[in-house]
Amino acid sequence: MRIENEIRRLRFEHGEMTQAQLAERIGMTRQTVIAIEQGKYSPSLEAAFKIAAAFGVAITDVFRWAPD
Amino acid sequence: MSFREKSAWIALAAYGVVFGAYFFVLWQSWGAAYARGLSIGLMIGAVVMLVIIAAGLSILAALSAPKEANAPADEREQLINLKAERIASHTLSTGVVLLIGALLAGWNSVLVANLLLAAMVISELVKASTQIIAYRRGA
Repeated sequence: MRIENEIRRLRFEHGEMTQAQLAERIGMTRQTVIAIEQGKYSPSLEAAFKIAAAFGVAITDVFRWAPD
Repeated sequence: MSFREKSAWIALAAYGVVFGAYFFVLWQSWGAAYARGLSIGLMIGAVVMLVIIAAGLSILAALSAPKEANAPADEREQLINLKAERIASHTLSTGVVLLIGALLAGWNSVLVANLLLAAMVISELVKASTQIIAYRRGA
């Protein structure tokens, strides 16, 4: 089971937002944003909603469940 | 490297260097230490050195990234810390249980006291190492 995400694409579409800028907006470290973006860390529901809100999209537009 | 990963490296280095030196000195003079009892001066000296080295390096790390140093740990960092604390506490508990057995078996109290200190140091090294591995892996 794996949670995939569209954070990289969404950052690009939002004026090439940097990982540091996204981290600042959601109150996390840049390293955590990198880990989430690379699929190494699955964020809490609260953090996932914050990320979606930072891009102004629904949570399902950012994250999706990809069963093995 | 995040501020908290730097902090874990600082803890690993400070505990490793200070207590590596402490146990090396104790090992070299074990006969005398065994005869005169616990070397409180050496032990206090090691703790003072640990505080000075760890505090000094932590201040330098905080000065290099003041914003990050003042920010609270985020959820991933808290999770990494909890995992590391759990493994370290199991390590320390195992050491304490074994040393209670050693005391009951009649081991010398000076030896047991130093082995207890070693168990505490090892648990701190395990904690810092676990944090570093988790930060390096990303989760």
